[in-house]
Amino acid sequence: MRNIFDFLEQDTRLAATLRVLFSTACVLIAWQLVSTVVTNRLLLVPPADVAIALWSELQQGAMWTNAVATVTAVVTSFIVSVLIGIAIGLALASSRLLSLTGGPVLSALNSVPIIALAPLFVAWLGLGFASKFVLVLLVAVFPVVVTTEAGLRAADKPLIEAARSFNASRWQIFTTVTFPYALPFIVSGIRVAWARALVGIVVAEFFGSFAGFGFAILSASQTFDTARVLGYVFLLGAMGLIGSVLFASLERHLAPWRQE
Amino acid sequence: MTASALLRVDNVNKTFVRNGKPSVEALRAINLSIREGEFVSIVGASGSGKSTLLRIIDGLLDPTDGAVYVDGARVSQPGPDRAMVFQQDSLLPWKTVIENVAYGLTLAKKPWSEASKVAERFIAMTGLAGFETHYPHQLSGGMRQRVNVARALAVNPRILLLDEPFAALDAQTREIMQTELLSIWKESRKTVLLITHQIDEAVFLSDRVIVFSARPGSVRQEVPIELPRPRDLELKRTPEFVSLVDRIWKLIEDEVRLGLKDGSH
Repeated sequence: MRNIFDFLEQDTRLAATLRVLFSTACVLIAWQLVSTVVTNRLLLVPPADVAIALWSELQQGAMWTNAVATVTAVVTSFIVSVLIGIAIGLALASSRLLSLTGGPVLSALNSVPIIALAPLFVAWLGLGFASKFVLVLLVAVFPVVVTTEAGLRAADKPLIEAARSFNASRWQIFTTVTFPYALPFIVSGIRVAWARALVGIVVAEFFGSFAGFGFAILSASQTFDTARVLGYVFLLGAMGLIGSVLFASLERHLAPWRQE
Repeated sequence: MTASALLRVDNVNKTFVRNGKPSVEALRAINLSIREGEFVSIVGASGSGKSTLLRIIDGLLDPTDGAVYVDGARVSQPGPDRAMVFQQDSLLPWKTVIENVAYGLTLAKKPWSEASKVAERFIAMTGLAGFETHYPHQLSGGMRQRVNVARALAVNPRILLLDEPFAALDAQTREIMQTELLSIWKESRKTVLLITHQIDEAVFLSDRVIVFSARPGSVRQEVPIELPRPRDLELKRTPEFVSLVDRIWKLIEDEVRLGLKDGSH
């Protein structure tokens, strides 16, 4: 038993994959066991039923339609919010005036639950892509802004001094010290932004859309089709997990010196 | 003040300003001159402004009064005739050893083919051959300081400024690095100004030791070190060496004690 644990704790790709599989299997088994006790299928359906529901969605083509709607909206909006977030973070870090005037407003906005404004955006921008795009943008942009600014300000003073000592220009200091130093910070902000973007897209789709995972979850729950609800939640979870793993490995790749 | 001085510090004062008001007088009336090829050390208690002086010479800080001249030309900013070796952790963690050594050259827009060739040479000179593609976090403290020294040498400065380069190393590694520095100095024929709080290090390496007194930092005394070269670690056990260290220690002992009492060491 101990040998198995030691093996799973190793820092290899195989062990990491096995860890994920192992914990998923444990959850599925527990879920299956609980659903033999809780027999009300409105409250809980066993994992096998969820898989069947997903399979039938796939065959009917509904899953594809929903996936296209959700993924196009969330990915475009996410990419745009990352770009805008980095740009705003750069502006805030490079200008004291902007940081003093814009900073407090941005942190106030950051603490407002923008998600609550979803019905308003739907009223303004209508049902469909535009309202989804804007809502996701607004929830995903802040973590990127905050981490970009913090990362750029965190740059090690001795590194900057060394660059200056070699007569580096301000632009060279930015490209060779400040920005590379900030990159892992920015990526961790992007990771948070991805998780927030997924929440944003679901809420946006709850309120105003004719397609998408959020729309499908809402319509399934209105017909008490718990298996379909959980099936789509599972897909969203998978999207979140893929993004998180991807950005975490990018972060490690960019800053290997932080681990050791 | 000899005419042949390569580096001349002329009546430099430095007072730091905080909130628009002068707060700390770091240096008062510093006059120094260093000849080409000379190895000079500055020792002093902590807070004696020696690091500040080094930064003024490098051009990272402006003096409040007075001026620094290199070969007759007034220093107003960092330049290729001077290079600084910092205490530690001033290597770029995302760059390999060779990229770090070539850093000054790439900042000066030298093509990589040329920069890497120069870097290779100083990597070999500092005993780093075989570690070109390692990252700083994969190296020991002593190895990282070699990279630091190689990086400074690679830009081919006339004056090498060393800011307590071995302070963060353990005692054994420090001794080895001192002898290596001597052989690099001999091979590269640079003019060296070293800041240290290790008196034995200063005596072992230098032609001349300048003793600083603290608050404000000023030159207390210059001690010529007329020990034969080449020097090896055996020298540290000779009575001449020990008496020189003792003499310098007596010059700064009171201030070190005072600093301890202040709690600001």
